[in-house]
Amino acid sequence: MDLNSQDGVTDVVANNVVNGAMNSVTNNDQSVAGRTIYGRSPKALLKSVFREERFFLILSVFIGIYSGLAVVCFRFAIDWCRLYLLGTGAVLSPTRLLLAPTLTGLVIAVLVIHVFPLARGSGVNQTKAALYIYNGYIPFRTAIGKFITAALAIGSGHSLGPEDPSLQIGACIASMMGRQMRLSRDRMRLIAPVGAAAGLAAAFNAPISAVLFVIEEVIGRWTAGILGSVVLSAVSSVVVMRLFLGSESLFRIPAVQLERPSELIAYSILGIVGGLASVVFSMGIATFRPKFKALPLWTQYLQPAMAGLLIGIIAWLGAPQVMGAGYEAMDEAMHGRFTWQFLGVLAGLKIVATLFSFVSGTPGGMFAPTLFIGAMLGAAVGGAEHVVLPHLSGSAGTYALVGMGVLFAGFLRAPMTSVFMVLEVSGNYSIILPVIVANTIAYVISRGLQPIAIFDVLTRQDGLELPSTEEQREEGILHIEDAMRAVDGPVLDAQQTLQQALQAAQASTAEEFLVRLSSSGWNSVTKQQLRALVDQGKGGTSLGSQLPVMQIPSLHPDQPLEMALRYVDRWPLVPVVSRANVRQLEGVITQRDVLERYREYGES
Amino acid sequence: MPAAQENRTGVAKRLDLRLYIKQPPVMLALLAVLGVIFFLAVAGLSRAYHAQREALGNRWFSRGVVDLNARRYDSAMTEFRSALLYSRDNYDYQLNLAEALIGLGRTAEAYSYLVNLWEEEPENGVVNLELARMAAQRGQTEQAQRYYHNAIYAVWPSDQEEKRRETRLELIEYLLSINATAQAQAESIALQENLGEPAQQRRVGDLFLRAQDYEHALAAYRLSLKYERRNAAALAGAGWAAFQLGRYPLAERYLQAAVSFNPDDTQSTERLKTTQLVLHMDPFRRQISVDERNKIVVDAFATAGKRLSSCARPKAAAASTSAQPRLADEWAKMKPRITEQQLRRNPDLVEQAMDLVFEIERQTSATCGTPTGEDLALLLISKLHEGN
Repeated sequence: MDLNSQDGVTDVVANNVVNGAMNSVTNNDQSVAGRTIYGRSPKALLKSVFREERFFLILSVFIGIYSGLAVVCFRFAIDWCRLYLLGTGAVLSPTRLLLAPTLTGLVIAVLVIHVFPLARGSGVNQTKAALYIYNGYIPFRTAIGKFITAALAIGSGHSLGPEDPSLQIGACIASMMGRQMRLSRDRMRLIAPVGAAAGLAAAFNAPISAVLFVIEEVIGRWTAGILGSVVLSAVSSVVVMRLFLGSESLFRIPAVQLERPSELIAYSILGIVGGLASVVFSMGIATFRPKFKALPLWTQYLQPAMAGLLIGIIAWLGAPQVMGAGYEAMDEAMHGRFTWQFLGVLAGLKIVATLFSFVSGTPGGMFAPTLFIGAMLGAAVGGAEHVVLPHLSGSAGTYALVGMGVLFAGFLRAPMTSVFMVLEVSGNYSIILPVIVANTIAYVISRGLQPIAIFDVLTRQDGLELPSTEEQREEGILHIEDAMRAVDGPVLDAQQTLQQALQAAQASTAEEFLVRLSSSGWNSVTKQQLRALVDQGKGGTSLGSQLPVMQIPSLHPDQPLEMALRYVDRWPLVPVVSRANVRQLEGVITQRDVLERYREYGES
Repeated sequence: MPAAQENRTGVAKRLDLRLYIKQPPVMLALLAVLGVIFFLAVAGLSRAYHAQREALGNRWFSRGVVDLNARRYDSAMTEFRSALLYSRDNYDYQLNLAEALIGLGRTAEAYSYLVNLWEEEPENGVVNLELARMAAQRGQTEQAQRYYHNAIYAVWPSDQEEKRRETRLELIEYLLSINATAQAQAESIALQENLGEPAQQRRVGDLFLRAQDYEHALAAYRLSLKYERRNAAALAGAGWAAFQLGRYPLAERYLQAAVSFNPDDTQSTERLKTTQLVLHMDPFRRQISVDERNKIVVDAFATAGKRLSSCARPKAAAASTSAQPRLADEWAKMKPRITEQQLRRNPDLVEQAMDLVFEIERQTSATCGTPTGEDLALLLISKLHEGN
């Protein structure tokens, strides 16, 4: 349905049908047809209720509900796969440990190569591609493929997480709904992120983090038009998910507190270690992924199986915690059930396992592994620090929690989301200082050592040129003050006579002059125009009376330079005034100034 | 022509319907209907999913309980861990896993589970008791006492009063083990108020004895004997408590009864002998004739002399103090006067003689260790009349 009459023919026919129906009502019962509601006809009222922006909001709720239901099914599927592939107990048989991920890897490879080719790769990037390249289009087949292959992969123990597939499933559902509703192109572009937020929120049971992540990483900018829809879809999906899976958060967080500000130093060390680990992890993916992709085609059938075998061997050798998403192990780490040495080993093994699972093309996400590595690393660093400084008050759980945020900030490069995610899953505001300090350090280290964020690396490896949200965030913005210049001639007053104005103008080398109007506002006049008016014998009349009625709009120094582009082609000289006193001239700007500044910026 | 007209009408109707369906309210209504169907389908799946998880959790838990009861802690631990996969917050699963871990000696791990459980239900008796035991093992006395007290006032799943009594008994034993006698006495008094069975009263009596609170110990044993008059252990305990309180006639009665009911109780037999010696050798006891008293004094004086000389022998010389030669001189000076005739003539001499005897016994006891037999009896008599 195109409410902006994009598909005109259909709308005309549709309107005729509705009109016809209305007419038949009129013919049958005049009194009914004559009724109005709040002074508007039912048709007008219906149209106003279903204006596209309102319709989009209602649709967002449906997207949230459908995505929530799909994510619940996805969680069931993962758990059932785990039960039937790995067994029901906590201790798994060696045969299953080795065979389940290997053989499932073979099946996944066949499915991904022959049936669902779009199921491999990052859901975040595919959603971004839908937003920026494909006008919101994501084939629904991708959702089905992602659902099946990711459930098999995670359920059989591949070291990947369910959040990224959930995000993509949500985006696919939204895209399909948008297509069926025949939304306008602008809305269609935005609908995939709305679904992505719903999917991620349901997977994480954390609506705020999901909204922030989508805004921060997928859309890249805050706009009021999209924020409402993203929030509505995220909230409705979480409500649905909680109906079926309960409201408990992913992790049971033990009591967290920061007793002494000096302990922030300990968390800073965690930030440094986490930042370095993030770099190792992302560089590993950046290095190995293209190499694996470049291998002969027949190896693509074996790569997921080999990754599965590697994980099976790691599990068989004594670290089954690295299998799957690893939430149970994270929970145990948070409650201090592992030694710090073992936690360090688990963090290292998880990096290896996830690296090979991901680069082999096995569908699945990296959110959960990132949190796993962060939690283990955090608890390990905390444990080691406790050995050296036993008086530190932070528990293993505190460090694990901060560690999760650290890796999220360092590896996924989502600093805002990383802070809010930790707050949301812990429900404890007192941890905010350690989280901010450690996350910032990790982010800065990661940014310094690996300038391109992992999502952008993956995009470029896939041959796409999607806008980097990180680069957008950090991009310098040119302002009016960067291009404006001082007034090089006298500023004329509207109350001056034309003769006085001409005299003032002739004393200057400039050709164009600003005129300050008597009440407020600005106008301009050229030396030539003044001379002509005086020659016509109007030298005694006031300058203001001879100026065109339309005033020149003024700009402020802090406004973006692109604002100037709206005016500089219509007015040769645009005044730049102070915000504190609009009659106070700060400078002027011309088209040439703007273009010159952009040229300089481009060259630099 | 009518057929073509009908055909056109049919196509138009289908077109109308398709266009009608694409109206926003109709589309939303359709979405809502589909959503309800999807929701119901997921609800069905969800029921099956949760039922399966519950069944698996229960199955692993049942196996774990069997293994835990059979003290196969390793298997029990694995099974409880498996059960927790399906219900990570289940209280019983976690508690039993903690118990299995304690059985395996993995106390640090068990402690983390117990602390979580405590945070969830701080009023749970079992958890508090386990935490108290772990804190006691770790030497964290304050924490141990806090958890024990929590457990005493906590909620127990069954036999609440009995569990609370048992916990307090355990606390008293713990307090005695760390020499917190005063606190142990206080706890024992609190415990005594809530006791019912004679066996428990007897156990409290034992605890009072260990806490050196003989008055309360005697009261507890007496209460126990009200219900079990012939209980040898209670009689022996009461006898010993009375003995410690210096109430020798009462002690003699209890100890005699204890020995008669349990002739193998050598400790009570020994204590009875000492009690009888104390009663026999006390010259200040009532209802004895002057001659009898004088005879006792002469015997006691001789006994003290022997003790003094034995304590002054070379092997004990090193331990002897400078007071002993003075006592030996005094004893030697007084000895000619301590005869029955002299005592009869000079009754004041009785007190002087016994004062010296008591001093000798105390002094030698300090230097040569606790005496036995008659010397011990004299020492106890000296304590009995201390301050008179």
